[in-house]
Amino acid sequence: MEEQDVQAMQEGSAFGFYGTWKEYAPIAFTNLLLTIVTLGIYKFWATTRTRSYLWSRTRFIDDRLEWTGTGKELFFGFLMVLLLLGVPFLFLQFGAQALVMQGHAGIAGILGFLSFIVIFYMIGVARFRALRYRLGRTYWHGIRGGSDDNGFGYGWSYVWKTIVGYIPMGLLVPRAMMSLWNERWNHMSFGPHMFQSQGSWHDTFKRYLLIYLLPFMIIPFSMLVASSFGSGRMLAGGVLMIILFGIAFIYIGIPLIMLAFYAKFFRVGVSGLSLSTLDFHFSARTMDWLKLFFVDVLLVIGTLGIGLIFLQYRHWKFFITHMEATGEIDLDALTQSDTTMSKHGEGLLDALDVGAF
Amino acid sequence: MINVPVWHYDGRNANKWQPRLLGDNQSFRLIDEGWEAGPYQWADLVALDTAGADAVFGHADAQGWRLGFAGDIPADVAALLPQRARYGGIIDRIGLGKASVAFACVAALVVFGVVKAPGWIAPFVPQSWEDTMGDAMVGDFGGRFCHSKEGDAALKTLVAKLDPDARARSVEVANIPMVNAIALPGRRIILFDGLIKGAESPEEVAGVLGHELGHVEHRHTLTAMMRQLGLSVILGGMDGMGGAQVNALLGLSFSREAEREADMTALEKMKAADVSPRGTAAFFKRMGRVKVDEEQPESDKPASERKAPENTDKKTRSIPVETIERATGWLASHPSSRSRYELFHNAAVKGHDYAPALSADQWKALRSMCKVDKTVKSGWGLGF
Repeated sequence: MEEQDVQAMQEGSAFGFYGTWKEYAPIAFTNLLLTIVTLGIYKFWATTRTRSYLWSRTRFIDDRLEWTGTGKELFFGFLMVLLLLGVPFLFLQFGAQALVMQGHAGIAGILGFLSFIVIFYMIGVARFRALRYRLGRTYWHGIRGGSDDNGFGYGWSYVWKTIVGYIPMGLLVPRAMMSLWNERWNHMSFGPHMFQSQGSWHDTFKRYLLIYLLPFMIIPFSMLVASSFGSGRMLAGGVLMIILFGIAFIYIGIPLIMLAFYAKFFRVGVSGLSLSTLDFHFSARTMDWLKLFFVDVLLVIGTLGIGLIFLQYRHWKFFITHMEATGEIDLDALTQSDTTMSKHGEGLLDALDVGAF
Repeated sequence: MINVPVWHYDGRNANKWQPRLLGDNQSFRLIDEGWEAGPYQWADLVALDTAGADAVFGHADAQGWRLGFAGDIPADVAALLPQRARYGGIIDRIGLGKASVAFACVAALVVFGVVKAPGWIAPFVPQSWEDTMGDAMVGDFGGRFCHSKEGDAALKTLVAKLDPDARARSVEVANIPMVNAIALPGRRIILFDGLIKGAESPEEVAGVLGHELGHVEHRHTLTAMMRQLGLSVILGGMDGMGGAQVNALLGLSFSREAEREADMTALEKMKAADVSPRGTAAFFKRMGRVKVDEEQPESDKPASERKAPENTDKKTRSIPVETIERATGWLASHPSSRSRYELFHNAAVKGHDYAPALSADQWKALRSMCKVDKTVKSGWGLGF
């Protein structure tokens, strides 16, 4: 048998996207139609059709990806969550209401806090299982990924690391996020190989500190502007300027810094990721993310909301066109994954509405 | 005999093979230099997404096993291959158009059923179940019920007049400064102190009490709860916002119907008790006017109108707003104040001398009930 080593990066990036708007539009519009007439039940099949299309137009080195998930398994995943979480929470909601009405606000508060922790934990589990589900349903060269971990342990990591990250005035949040990213990926595999994730939070910390520095930059600046208005009657104008700067800081400054931080975080996170002899990289910088979201907003507003159905397409295209990989793959050694396949889809994830990354 | 070139992943490792497919109408084998595999049954193949222009097939029992045809597939082979699913099982079989119409019809039926069914089912739910549930939910309302000797007696008199058969299990006054009243599950009515303080006569309170008694009699509360539950379940599948809006709209259309029914019951009860509906009419007239001021503040009006308020006829000023309220009436949960004013106003028998709903002393006792009660808890706050 002849060795078939494929040199990655032989023609530009190892990843490529070949989808077109025109090709995707019939899928998006029929999905919308069927979702409406089925009171939303078709959503699970719609998600599957969209993914099938996006994956099939995605090239990695010499062949496309393949999505093998089904609408049925997503639907059953959703039903399971409805039973596991929906029923107890419905009961809790009515119960808590009754408790408050009867004057037992303390017990209602404790129950509320407990349900908050349970939801928090479930979001963690859901994030893990979503990634596992997606890898398990993604085939390349007839080989899939997956994980042998069920994510229940990760759920607790998610709870305590996030809480500890916020305790010292939020200063440890980047460390918690990167630690969770690494923990998640280190449990994943593709074929026989485990992913190795060694993202370093140090590299993202400077960006994160900007959030704390911004007020110190904004306040003197607005003071300066305010003082230029002079005294007396103009002082009111100066105060107004300070208030305006404050609002701009909250609604524009913080989101921008968070975006800049996340852009850096994602770059560092992906750079720390490797699979056997393959190393991954992500090239999108803050400006690229900004452009993505800016056009998203224009698209949705300009089409009075219809554009929403194209966002999934745009985001996948953004993700793939900025993904890069270097290294070599030994096709003989890339054997089939023997991880267990869950029978149901990312129900938890859909119910709690969190993303995979 | 079939003999075509194909590409192949065996699902065991990532190598891409270029064998030939040899076979007949039942089964085939894959043959390459140095290896061959099979036999495979055509019936076990599953059509998958195309890879570029290539048609791709999987095997029902072997994960990752793929068979690809580069370019056109010979007609005799194509006839043996399964069709690719497009929208999903049923839809592919009957066609997108027909399936959409069918789904839409079923969806409409389901929504109609969920909106209507509680009204049919509620009367058959044993009253004792509803009472137990209501008591569990409400209890003593966190100690917010007002009591005084004279006030309790006055309330009892008013309730006895309007509800001689004692359909309501309890009627209480809650120490909450809102102009409102509610009928809770378990045949319990709560009048808020704000309503009683804001009322200008006991007849106004009687009208509201009669209205809530109507809700109790028709079991509207249980119906509404069942409907809300049903709608949140079937619309839960839709994306958050859209579903909630549809839900609210459907809930409201119910409310109007039920409110109307409750108003009619109130009128019957007031007639039987010989209580004048004019007080309630006056209440709605005031409500309509309050809205006038809320919806059209002075500063929003053109300057010409603003200058001499004393010359402006109050009635003509309120008409346009009432028109707006009526036009948008289908959006509001209650019928417009205007139409309710007319309903109660027209129900009053001209020239008839109604008995007062409460004596002056009783009315005073009812109004001061929450002030006199020193042990009552107040408001909605959690300070207890």
